[in-house]
Amino acid sequence: MNPEHCVIIGNGPAANEAALTLRGESRDLRITVIGQEPVRHYKAYLLPEYVSGKLAEDDLYVNPPADHRERDIKLRLGQKVETVSFDTREIILDHKEVVRFDSLIVAVGGIPRIPERLQVFSDLFLALKTLADARIWKQKLKDAETILMVGGDLTSLSFTKALLAMGKRVIFMINEDSFWPLRFDDEIRSQVTERLTAKGVEVLNRRTIKGLAGISENEVEIETDAEKLSVNAVGAFFGLVPNVKFLARSGLHIDRGILVDDYLRTRFAGVYAAGDCAQVYHPELRDYWVSIGYKNAWNLGKIAALNLIGGKIRAQAVAQSIFRVGGIAVNTSWWTEF
Amino acid sequence: MKTPGKILAEKVKHIRDSNQFAVRSSALPTWCPGCGYFGIHHALSGCLKQMGMPLHEIVVVSGIGCAGRYPFFSNTYGLHTVHGRTLPVATGVKMANPGLTVYAVGGDGDGLAIGGGHLPHVIRRDVNINYLLFDNSMYGLTKGQPSPSSPVGTTTKASPFGTVDKPLNATLMALTYGIGFVARLFAGDPEGMRNAFVEGTRHNGFSLFHIYTTCVTFDKVNKTWDNLKRQIHPLPQNHDAGNLRKAFDAVLDDDFTTGIIFQKESA
Amino acid sequence: MTVEVCGMAGDGTIAAGGLINEAMSLGGFSVLGFDSYPAEIRGFGRCVTRSRIGSEEIVALADRTQVLISLDDEQSISRVPFLVDNGGVIFDNNPSGYREETKSLAAKLEPGISLFGMPLGDLATGASGTVRGRNLTALGAFTAIFGVPPDLFRKAISDKFTSKGKAVLEANLKSFNAGLRYAEEKFKDRATPVFDVRNKLGSGKRVMLSGNQAIAKAALDAGLKLYFGYPITPATPIMEYLAKQLPQRGGRVMQMEDEISSIGAVLGSYYAGARAMTATSGPGFALMTELITHGVMAEIPAVILNAQRGGPSTGLPTKTEQSDLHAAVFGGPGDSGRIVIAPTNVEECYAMTVKSFQLAEKYQTPVIVLTDFYLDNRVENLASPAASSEEKADWNMYPHDSTRGKYWRYASTESGISPRALPGTEGFIYTATGLEHTERGTPDYSPENHMMMSAKRYRKIMGALADLPSPVEFSSGRELEVGVIGWGSTFGSVLEAVNTAAERGLRVGALKITSIFPFHADVIRSFMNRCGHVLIPELNYSGQLANLIGHLHNKDVIRLNMVTGVPFSPSTILFEIENLVGAGT
Repeated sequence: MNPEHCVIIGNGPAANEAALTLRGESRDLRITVIGQEPVRHYKAYLLPEYVSGKLAEDDLYVNPPADHRERDIKLRLGQKVETVSFDTREIILDHKEVVRFDSLIVAVGGIPRIPERLQVFSDLFLALKTLADARIWKQKLKDAETILMVGGDLTSLSFTKALLAMGKRVIFMINEDSFWPLRFDDEIRSQVTERLTAKGVEVLNRRTIKGLAGISENEVEIETDAEKLSVNAVGAFFGLVPNVKFLARSGLHIDRGILVDDYLRTRFAGVYAAGDCAQVYHPELRDYWVSIGYKNAWNLGKIAALNLIGGKIRAQAVAQSIFRVGGIAVNTSWWTEF
Repeated sequence: MKTPGKILAEKVKHIRDSNQFAVRSSALPTWCPGCGYFGIHHALSGCLKQMGMPLHEIVVVSGIGCAGRYPFFSNTYGLHTVHGRTLPVATGVKMANPGLTVYAVGGDGDGLAIGGGHLPHVIRRDVNINYLLFDNSMYGLTKGQPSPSSPVGTTTKASPFGTVDKPLNATLMALTYGIGFVARLFAGDPEGMRNAFVEGTRHNGFSLFHIYTTCVTFDKVNKTWDNLKRQIHPLPQNHDAGNLRKAFDAVLDDDFTTGIIFQKESA
Repeated sequence: MTVEVCGMAGDGTIAAGGLINEAMSLGGFSVLGFDSYPAEIRGFGRCVTRSRIGSEEIVALADRTQVLISLDDEQSISRVPFLVDNGGVIFDNNPSGYREETKSLAAKLEPGISLFGMPLGDLATGASGTVRGRNLTALGAFTAIFGVPPDLFRKAISDKFTSKGKAVLEANLKSFNAGLRYAEEKFKDRATPVFDVRNKLGSGKRVMLSGNQAIAKAALDAGLKLYFGYPITPATPIMEYLAKQLPQRGGRVMQMEDEISSIGAVLGSYYAGARAMTATSGPGFALMTELITHGVMAEIPAVILNAQRGGPSTGLPTKTEQSDLHAAVFGGPGDSGRIVIAPTNVEECYAMTVKSFQLAEKYQTPVIVLTDFYLDNRVENLASPAASSEEKADWNMYPHDSTRGKYWRYASTESGISPRALPGTEGFIYTATGLEHTERGTPDYSPENHMMMSAKRYRKIMGALADLPSPVEFSSGRELEVGVIGWGSTFGSVLEAVNTAAERGLRVGALKITSIFPFHADVIRSFMNRCGHVLIPELNYSGQLANLIGHLHNKDVIRLNMVTGVPFSPSTILFEIENLVGAGT
């Protein structure tokens, strides 16, 4: 008798917790985790400290190496999903393999966002989303002294801390919509500016970037409406967008992320979404909220898994902690961490 | 009056003067008195003498059976090998040193039973060796069992009710395999044998001498001297030994004609 | 590092493996390669090439593979269990059709494996117009990912395909370069997974030879005049190699109608003084037994190569085994002691084959050289072997002129060796015979004669010890906890296991035995007596070497017998060694 096959796409906190939860609740279910990055699950929010050298690579990992094998969870790393066909219940991997599933959890997270008007310069921007990114930063920071941070999401703030600890000179160009989902008003702006300046960061407010030019391997020139800067590296921290482009034609309801009900169900039976890639419906607000941050993703992964095997747990967020920004409601319990 | 002693002395002197035993070794043959092999031995010795080949450039390869003892009675190099393998061993000797003249000798068991599988191939290769097949339709050394050329109904201790298998015809087989020189001979005709041996030795390719002979100890019925003398007669004068079809006809018509059945120099 | 290429017959797997061997050899690495072929002749079945590459001498295959190049994913699945945890896989990520999960290579890999997927077929087609070049495209990728200088491969490709014409060569180079460029670009940020081949390059000219090639070359160099043989796996390549080369040196290869006529013709040739040889395997060797004992009794030289394979009887024709020792040493009626030697690697295949002719001549006996399927078919790179004039010299003992006219072919001497005249020599006429005979050579069955001649023949064979290579010891000291004795190709695995154990601080030693019969009893005994335990691993079920020499030890030897059809892995032997070290007396 073939056991049911549950596939989890992604290998971040939502995916990892979903897998462990499923296995904890069910001995028989066949579980496959497909992650695009060729590394085991790690805590991405610790990447800044890995770059600064405060943490070693091994400190980032969550599960012991043989853990998944011992739990009989099939871990497929470095493999990419090309598309999903929900009517035939098939996942197509980009090396033309067909994986059939009975149930599915999409937990692909987000990818760094570059504002449209700056996309032409994307080659010169360095993000810090993955371990691969972190390795590039480590290499670069051997020679780089002055770093321009553009944006202002959660990662940018913790990375700035790390750079300062490394003795680097940091110029921070605040980009308003990077603080999404937080509504950026003057109060938040002055708060942020003050805290950064107090730490020794040069803060540039209300700038528009006119152009970037890569002069050499170690030198980038930036022209704004106010000045010309020459730095060694430029970091892009404009937040994340759900990594769901590959599902655009799959039939799922997608807004920015995958729309799910308060039980994290998509419109297809047995298919769930959790973590940064999902937009969860709040029945009281009659609207969808997006979660950000490790803890939330972890939580949603757990809920999706429990519901998949027959649970009835609502992905609750306290109504007050949900903001409306730009037509989107957001769960911001992470904000207090900074 | 010539005493037996005087007659003997004369004979010995005659033999010594003729030098015909130079080829013989000092060892006395162990064949039974009256055995046809003596005649063959005499004829081949005569051939070697006639051709004047240095004896140390001749190798006689033999197998197992009464015929296997041949090299010991011949003042040439010899290689007494195992049952049925005379032809491949002789092939090796000749290929190693083509300057040697190589004779392979063996009985009908050695050549047609255990060694039967080698005959077609040595003929295909047309190795320039000379094969004397002593065909007395009997296994003598092992004390009397039928051989592949024994006629149907041959009675021995091993076939008390008479054999039922059809006998092989060595000359016919050789022709079928494509041989370039085959002579059928009678051990009671030393002159005929000697001439054929000379001709066959000169032939540049594989030569088979299929020799009818007797086993006086174990065959009192088929190939006796009397029977053979009565049955055997030479090929007709007009026999065309260069024509294969005629050679087949001759052999198919009559089992007892002797002479050079077929001879064709290779291209 | 071990690199495997796995594909279906027709994918160019074997060619790719061969190029890896050549290229890495050109780069100055030590290389040991072993391929497996499909058992059937027609185009079905899996081909796997394994190449173990190192900067130090490689003596055995490893258990695990660092890199797998897949030319057929479904076949390659069988190789996955052999990958190391952090290995790498190069595969085609744009196959012609979709793959089910159950047939997908990527689905079977452990998470630590690095995947290098690239559109091998498309790249090959794009570069050279045919998808058949994708094995070369994969090699290009391998070069880029692991930092091997591409020119090594280009030279190997050139050497291999120049004879096939300019068009083929160029197409292949294009396919190779396409893979190289693509991988350089796509994988430039990927850390080299396992083994950095950069900066490991030595110098020195080496050639790749298989055991069979080394044997054939040795025979040629030793002045072989005649080869008689019959096709049989795995000895056939020797005949085929010589069939081309021997005529050019005035010799001849003759395919006989069976193995019996083969050995018969060898004996006939050597009787007449020409160096002759045959090669066979178990079933053919059995057929030769009668004539081999004839050679022993009639004291005629012969060289017989037995390329052992799985037995008994028809057995496992394409699997390796070492189970003909008994047959080689004892096979055949009577007390027919003869010389049996067994090389352990390709270099020894060469050297010992050259030597076998001399031994056969001097000791006037068949000499049996034992190899096995693995040793015959594996390739190693080594300095191009050659034989000095001493090593090729005629070792026949000819009779002294003073014995002309009164020559006794089988005269009993102190050494047991009776001078041997060759046909064509005047004054030394004799008949060689398989019957028991007097010193003159005449058949004789008397009791005293048979005692005397038996003693003479044995004395002669035992005298060969003086000319046979003595066992060689590889150890860390005098008193050893475990001594491991190996023969044939198993010795390489023994040596690697023992070296590893020594590195871990164990007092262990290895003894290499190449003279199987006669064997150097004193040397072996003295080694054994310095060991707490003596372990004899063999690829046969009954422990044939153990049976032969086990009695030399003052207690039971420990047998490690495997008949899996594959070479011993060093770790199996190491495991046994470590068990014994703990076990006490």
